Amino acid sequence: MKRIKAMMLASVFAAGTATTAFAADPIRIAINEWTGQHISAHIAGSMLKEMGHEVEYVTAGAVPQFAAIATGDLHLQPEVWSNNVGEIYPKAVESGDIQVIGDLGLKPSEGWFYPPYMAEKCPGLPAYDALYECAQAFAAADTFPKGRLITYPADWGTRSKDLVEALDMPFQPVAGGSEGAMVAEMKSAVAAKQPMLMMFWQPHWIFADLDLDLVEWDKATADCESGPGQKRGDACGFAQATIKKIVSGDFEKNYPKAYAALDNMRLSNDIQNALIKKIDDEGVPVEEAVAEWMAANESSWKGWISGSGSSDASSIIDQIESLKASVEKLEKMLAQ
Amino acid sequence: MIAQEIRQPVIWSALAVLALVLWLASGSIDALAKFPADWVLAPTAVMNAFMERCVELFGPAFKAVGWVLEWPVRWAQMLLHALPWSVIATFFVLLGWFGAGWRLALFAGVSLLYMAVIGYWGESMNTLAIVLISVPMAVLVGFAFGVLGFYSERAKRIIMPILDLLQTIPAFAYLLPILILFGFGTTVGLVASVLYAFPPMVRNTILGLRAVPGEIVEAGVMSGTTPWQLFWKVRLPAARKQVLLGVNQSTMASLSMVIIASIIGGTNDIGWEVLSTMRKADFGASLLAGFVIALIAMALDRITYAYAMKPKEIDGPARSPWIVGGAVLLGVAALSLVIPALNEWPKNFVWNPAPAMNAALEKAVVDWRLWIEAIKNSAFFYVMLPIKIGLGQAVSPFTWGFALTPMLKAGYAAFVLAAAGWAYFRNRATLASLILLWGVVSFIGLTNTPWPALFAIIVYAAYVTAGRGLAIGTALALAFLILAGVWPQSVLSLYLCGIAVLISFVVGTAIGIWASESRIVSAIMRPIMDTLQTMPLFVILIPFVMVFKIGEFTALLAVIAYAIVPAIRYTEHGLRNLPGEVIEAAETIGCSRWQMLLRVKLPLALPAIMLGLNQTIIYGIGMLVIAALVGTNGLGQQIYIGLGDGDFGVGMTAGIGMAAIAMIADRMTQAVSRRRQEKYGLEVQAV
Repeated sequence: MKRIKAMMLASVFAAGTATTAFAADPIRIAINEWTGQHISAHIAGSMLKEMGHEVEYVTAGAVPQFAAIATGDLHLQPEVWSNNVGEIYPKAVESGDIQVIGDLGLKPSEGWFYPPYMAEKCPGLPAYDALYECAQAFAAADTFPKGRLITYPADWGTRSKDLVEALDMPFQPVAGGSEGAMVAEMKSAVAAKQPMLMMFWQPHWIFADLDLDLVEWDKATADCESGPGQKRGDACGFAQATIKKIVSGDFEKNYPKAYAALDNMRLSNDIQNALIKKIDDEGVPVEEAVAEWMAANESSWKGWISGSGSSDASSIIDQIESLKASVEKLEKMLAQ
Repeated sequence: MIAQEIRQPVIWSALAVLALVLWLASGSIDALAKFPADWVLAPTAVMNAFMERCVELFGPAFKAVGWVLEWPVRWAQMLLHALPWSVIATFFVLLGWFGAGWRLALFAGVSLLYMAVIGYWGESMNTLAIVLISVPMAVLVGFAFGVLGFYSERAKRIIMPILDLLQTIPAFAYLLPILILFGFGTTVGLVASVLYAFPPMVRNTILGLRAVPGEIVEAGVMSGTTPWQLFWKVRLPAARKQVLLGVNQSTMASLSMVIIASIIGGTNDIGWEVLSTMRKADFGASLLAGFVIALIAMALDRITYAYAMKPKEIDGPARSPWIVGGAVLLGVAALSLVIPALNEWPKNFVWNPAPAMNAALEKAVVDWRLWIEAIKNSAFFYVMLPIKIGLGQAVSPFTWGFALTPMLKAGYAAFVLAAAGWAYFRNRATLASLILLWGVVSFIGLTNTPWPALFAIIVYAAYVTAGRGLAIGTALALAFLILAGVWPQSVLSLYLCGIAVLISFVVGTAIGIWASESRIVSAIMRPIMDTLQTMPLFVILIPFVMVFKIGEFTALLAVIAYAIVPAIRYTEHGLRNLPGEVIEAAETIGCSRWQMLLRVKLPLALPAIMLGLNQTIIYGIGMLVIAALVGTNGLGQQIYIGLGDGDFGVGMTAGIGMAAIAMIADRMTQAVSRRRQEKYGLEVQAV
């Protein structure tokens, strides 16, 4: 509560000064609805604070935040999932109102998850081929004789449904409605040891609570196209999302050093999962958990700031890409 | 009248035959089963283009307004956060005390203490800050329009449909345009809540000014007032109660909208907390946060209601309690400087029962699994599936235990015909034709009924209940849904909402009757209903999903939980407020309790009960949007698709569609209610 109070007051005063001195504008970081993003946001924020920037965290819905970043009301969102962005985001990226600064380094895996006890009822798992034989083990009253497959909510696209149709699997896709409903279903299904097969994603805090396995496909390719192209015996499942860091269009100009540091920032699934467990399972507040991590991993974030840190292959590719982007931008300007 | 009596059964029977024939033909003609995609005019593209143009033209102006509006909210937040919690709590206690005595004071005090104990003080104050700014704005705007509508009949004719639209379009649908126009931030919640909260103020202002007795106005005119004086010194004081009721309703509407708007973000308020916990499916925490909102709502409701109903002291020596109150506040403030615990609620005193609540729910789910499955399956097999896809498909060995053989089909047809024939020979031709229609539609199923047939049935039903005007309006609205390409979703919404309304109405009326006969039941029901109506509806969803799983059944229960409240309220209210003479007369001729209820009270209360049905329908449609969060495929889902994609047109089309359905249902039930009222010469007022 104290934190909130301080935050509120800080935001009020900050906004008061904003009109007089532009440079004193704090860097506003979007806080979305899930714990993993809170961690990324607070690590980025703590790093920026160490660099001497003023930082403010603002709660923002996953889609509305893009409108805010595009107009510069928010500055930074370090964890954007490329598969759930709506229409505002690509438009804003195209027009330059939102700038993408490469991958965060998290490796998401999306696909169909099931609790381990289902492997007893369906021995062939995790191979997806087993699902043809034991669809009835996953059946429910509203889908019988087909198996019940919970998919993403209708507004997140229809990839699972397309795949079921393409592979002609004996499953009935049921739209999950919302993340909360999906998690609630998961919790209650596992508690009562009921059948469950659900399209879901990782890293997610639920994996700190529950043990879930992922259905495997014939092959896993990076350029896998979900949908009608796939056949039984030659299925790759789902195109995997990427997780990007994004900033508002004029961020690089106003905070060049912060931009460079964010460019170097890299997290991993392990870092997030460990912190998620601490926060959601053990009840440690985000700020404390992140502060602990910052203290223990000084070398990594200091490396991001100085730029001397782990500049692995992917970040070099990123840099080349961002160079390309800026060259293109220059060319555009010259053409005008 | 005679012509009408013959015409109706003929047309209903014709519609039944039409549905059957078209259904048989739809096997070979696709255009009948499904409205051809080529014929769909995409209004979404036009709407999006319009919106883009708007942003281009007025964007900067809106942004500037948005920027200005942000300040009062920030100041209010700053003030509420700077004040010690004890001072704010004392203030509300005093407010309650002066308004309606120690009971309300106690209630206000306990409510505020709860916020602090549960650890949501900061978030609650952020919510309160927005409400604090939005209510006066809504009241001012609403009052101005109300006065305009009172003096000018033409203005009223324009204002009223706009109010209907603002109140029936699901709140989620207009968040996106506001976000696009005003930009991100607290402003979105503020503007949305003002838009949603001012209509009740307009209605009550007009109602109040109208109800001022002519003698009072005449007396004012005779004593030589100027028009200005006549309004401020005569009309307005006489209409005071109703206008203040408007303030009360605006406050409630504003609060509920602020909560919904928190989906946008920008403020760390209690609505955001509810959404986050709901996302985590943290049942305990979301319930605790939900109670905060219910308590804020109830406290604000009781306090504003108390001040609205309080008789006005003419000579006004009423200043002294406020001096005392001010002194108390200053005292508490001074104390809080000395005792830090009064300034900021100590962290160690925060009590969090959420984990225990979650564990209890999980245990219940595991222990009662068989019962839960049995309830769900029988509801699904015997009620929902038959209505959705028709008996023809719903009856199968897996669901009902036997297959629908041609013999059984013939038996079903014979049964329907026999029932219709029986009704016909008892001289109830209309009933006979309706039985026929029912028989056909329940065999085909709502979603399989060819669209031209369903269109004709609904339009004719509108004609029969409310006349030509509504029939034309209905036809236009349905045509919009068909041409916009959302007909299948509309039918799914109709199906889900229809069942929910039916069950809510039957069960709700029964509970309402029981509550009207028993003080204990009434006393138990009231807080439950208040909570259901004021708690953000997302909160109800989590436990339902954990028990009954994702799907339509859960959505149905969620809709019922919300829509049942007006059915109970209006029934009880109607039965308790009957003309005393009639009851006395019935008593003197020696009616038994059951005779009294069935022969006297219920027929007299029917108009009020019908109004309850009307509200049940509106609430049910409103809840569809929330229910979509647990996996339905109707219009509600379209609104999220629009919001998720940032697509203004898709969300708006669905929103207008739902508003249209709500308004049609509203006009139809009101027409029936009015006819009953005229028959008994009664007058009914809204609860």
